[in-house]
Amino acid sequence: MQIRDYVLRRLLVLPLLIVGTSIIVFSLTRIGGSPIGIYLSHEMSQDEVAQLEERFHLDDPLPVQYLFWASGVVRGDLGWSGVAAAPVTQVFPTKLAASMELAIAAAIVAVVLGLALGTYAGARRNRLPDHLTRVFSISGASMPLFWFAILLLIVFWVNLGWFPVGRSDADIYGRIAHPTGLYTVDALLAGDFAALRDALWHLALPAITLGYGATAIIARMMRSSLVEELQEDYVDAARAKGLPERLVLKRHARRNALIPTVTVIGLTFGFLLQGAVVAEIIFQWPGLGRWMADAVLRGDQATIMAYVLFTSVLFLFVNLAVDVVYAYLDRRVVLGE
Amino acid sequence: MTLPQPSMSPARATATDVIASVTDLRVHFRAKGGTVHAVDGVSFDIHDGETLGLVGETGCGKSVTARSFLRLVPMPPGIAAGGSITFGPEKTDLTTVDDRTLRSIRGDRIAMIFQDPGKALNPALNVRDQIAEVFCEHRTDDVLDRAGIDVSGQPGPGRQLLRRRAAGRSRLHERMVLALPPLRGRRRAIEDALDGMIADALAETHIPNPRKVMDRYPHELSGGMRQRVMIAQALACNPDLLIADEPTTALDVTVQARIMELIADLKARRRTSVLYISHDLSLVRRICDRVAVMYAGRIVEIGPTDRVLAEPLHPYTRGLLAAVPSASQRRGELVAIEGTVPELIDPPPSCRFVGRCPHAAPACERRDPVLAPIDDGHAVACFLHHPPEDVADDDLPTAGWAGRS
Amino acid sequence: MADIPRRMPVTVPTVDSAWRVRARRWRELLGSVLANPTTVVGLVLIVGMLAVALFAPAITEPNTPDPYQMPRDWGALNVPPGSPGHILGTTNTGGDVYYGIIWGARTSLRLSIIVVSITVVVGVAIGSAAGFIGGKVDEILMRIVDVFLSIPELIFALAIAAVLGPSFRNIILALAVVFWVKYARIMRAQIIHVKDNDYVDAARVIGDSRLRIYLKDVLPNSITPIIVQATLDMGHIVLVGATLSFIGLAEAGLAEWGVLVSEGQAGISAGRWWASTFPGLMVFLWALAFNLVGDGLRDVLDPRTETAR
Repeated sequence: MQIRDYVLRRLLVLPLLIVGTSIIVFSLTRIGGSPIGIYLSHEMSQDEVAQLEERFHLDDPLPVQYLFWASGVVRGDLGWSGVAAAPVTQVFPTKLAASMELAIAAAIVAVVLGLALGTYAGARRNRLPDHLTRVFSISGASMPLFWFAILLLIVFWVNLGWFPVGRSDADIYGRIAHPTGLYTVDALLAGDFAALRDALWHLALPAITLGYGATAIIARMMRSSLVEELQEDYVDAARAKGLPERLVLKRHARRNALIPTVTVIGLTFGFLLQGAVVAEIIFQWPGLGRWMADAVLRGDQATIMAYVLFTSVLFLFVNLAVDVVYAYLDRRVVLGE
Repeated sequence: MTLPQPSMSPARATATDVIASVTDLRVHFRAKGGTVHAVDGVSFDIHDGETLGLVGETGCGKSVTARSFLRLVPMPPGIAAGGSITFGPEKTDLTTVDDRTLRSIRGDRIAMIFQDPGKALNPALNVRDQIAEVFCEHRTDDVLDRAGIDVSGQPGPGRQLLRRRAAGRSRLHERMVLALPPLRGRRRAIEDALDGMIADALAETHIPNPRKVMDRYPHELSGGMRQRVMIAQALACNPDLLIADEPTTALDVTVQARIMELIADLKARRRTSVLYISHDLSLVRRICDRVAVMYAGRIVEIGPTDRVLAEPLHPYTRGLLAAVPSASQRRGELVAIEGTVPELIDPPPSCRFVGRCPHAAPACERRDPVLAPIDDGHAVACFLHHPPEDVADDDLPTAGWAGRS
Repeated sequence: MADIPRRMPVTVPTVDSAWRVRARRWRELLGSVLANPTTVVGLVLIVGMLAVALFAPAITEPNTPDPYQMPRDWGALNVPPGSPGHILGTTNTGGDVYYGIIWGARTSLRLSIIVVSITVVVGVAIGSAAGFIGGKVDEILMRIVDVFLSIPELIFALAIAAVLGPSFRNIILALAVVFWVKYARIMRAQIIHVKDNDYVDAARVIGDSRLRIYLKDVLPNSITPIIVQATLDMGHIVLVGATLSFIGLAEAGLAEWGVLVSEGQAGISAGRWWASTFPGLMVFLWALAFNLVGDGLRDVLDPRTETAR
């Protein structure tokens, strides 16, 4: 009952935040010169420009302009992407699939590795594994993603030649049906293991790059909350029952330590969204991030705005989901401000 | 320094009815300014079926002593600096025994009740899961027996899975197999058997509706109920020794009495020995056969409860008793012991109580009194009662209760 | 994570000796900060970086007319490290990597100082306004803060810088727009916390004006989490700024680490690893240094908060 109220309240605030975000995004389009710049040319007369402005409602007051823009967004009209030479909404799905595949792979790397490292370090507090994990975590928070990616490329691509760059080869992927657009999943569905291997091979370096920062954060949080839980009485009580240390850790301490870590896992999602831009540029991954980077360099406003709006809304929903999961997991949590 | 002291047991006690015996136990802690001697040469016996009270102020080392029985003192920062705790007829030394044997004793033959049941129960597990662990760990065969499953025959993979279920060891993939037809029925039988055993254990502590309580999480229960769950969990395997670490301190006064009654009642029925830790002498009076008074890591006085309370020998015990309000006392007469417990970092070889003692004499500053018997089962560590022969009389403390003038 | 409250403990000095207590506390704090070896490593790194940034003109001959532009040696393209005149090699346009690293430190210092000063001032002002005035103003300001927080910071900064047009000045502006939010939140939480404390009431009873109370009691007590955040941001801003210029939002040829990494990136497939590796290492060390010190400060100043980023 309590949790339901909490979720309801969060859901009520959500539209406000989305509207707020859209206002910011809209304001951005108005800072950077005329949004119809790409339609204008020097040969146009003053009248023609005025006509265009009228057509795009640029002669109306700003709030009215916003409403026209917002209603367009709601109807799925995000404008024309100059970079992709197509409407934004048309290009979006394929790019999204590529980005999703990368983000999911990175998230898996980060969650699995982060939890394992954090648990390992927390259970060995102030011993060597703990110190090494701390170095790993602090480095993770200070590591420029673009540099880490390039180091990986220098070592594993240029010198060792173990991993390729870019996404899976079109001809291998072309052999199979692709209902989801996620190469690995499609390969699995088709049962084509050569294609799966190829897809995973291409995925490895960018996923590790993208997952590194998040791994560091998750490991750190898991470590500190495990250390905290291990000092609780119920851990001693579990030992007093005669449970082996492995079960004390697994069934008792880790379960409770996971609760605050869930929040951080949600936060790291923002990390993944941001890192995707850099990782996709360096590994030539044809996803949203690289599209965004191209758009940034060529001043393609429609694409930039669509991307900002999309990531923010996604971020909001993920945070909401994390809060709900957290509130559910930790029924002791004090709900409210 | 102090010599290892002989264990203080009444003359009538024979070796067989001593269930546990602590000898010169020393537990230290590494701290910033040196080594804290939290427990510094403690010796006592616990007899079969008796309730021994261990009383002292916060930080006197009573909880550390109690936790040492189950080796629950974290090391580091703790240091096992010496001594032994032997347990049972086979005289297992709990301070050195291997982990596997220790685990088989924990929860089965020695159980513990913690001070705050709100903290000692895992908030993420319901009551059923927490109590089930004890049965799974120590009574796997009984569970299988009660479920009507015979695993003594030829060992097949199915039986092994069922056995692992009864031992609470099923992994994720095993649980999936157990959810499917060939084994599903017997798995349910195991779960029903466990539920039955848990319900019985809960019912013993007079919890109404045990089957309903089983599905509750700790935060959904009241403090008294939680402590009942804790007690049910501790007594589930009929332990020989129950360690109760201030079991009523965190509870409401009204609930306290009922929990104490419950412990006394269950103890009497099972002939379980109890080591009852408390800072409250008035509680100890009610349920303990004998009482040991701890001060600054040492036992300063030990003996039958009525004797110690009627004729306290050590100045500290007298001070403690004076601090307890009683019905006969007039209001406003509450006496507190002056001063505070000394820092236990690298203590000098003097009586620990010398700074607060109304009888303190030069000898008390230079030497460390040893716990020695006065008469039948009553022992005290004080130069008032055991003047050392090589010290001049002028340097010795004199009797006369200066503290209450 | 708008609804997870941050706990910000504050020690409460008495009215009369507040300043003396505070001074002693600072001395003690300094001692415990220096007791942590990783913090000391960070401090040493910071001092080294600052020295390089401040004495850049003395270390390498400044390029004319603009020392922040990379000098080009068109006769020595893609020279590997260890070559005469180019210790760390050159880029594919003849830029000296060593020069870029030294003057990049100066660029980074400029960037982080400007952005941190702007964001701290703006954030503290807005947070104070919200916390002090309360009511509707607080509500509106905090909703704005929530909206700002709901856009991932790098993407937000990227969009702003892109809309403004690619230049280093616009990177600074974009970062300033994005990074004030945390300070506003911290400040507001502090003010609300401090307002509840008795000694502010005491001051009010004595008859101090609200502004005086703010300057004398509230501000000094609220300053520690701000310092921690500012220290962390000194590193973080350089990290994000370098990322933006790596993507291509700074002028080409700027003596800046991200720009250099980007310039060097083209050569890595041909085995020219140096032009990216060294400047990237500098970004890492810079961020690491401030993170180490920031973490050390946080452990000492408010040990209970664990701000995740």
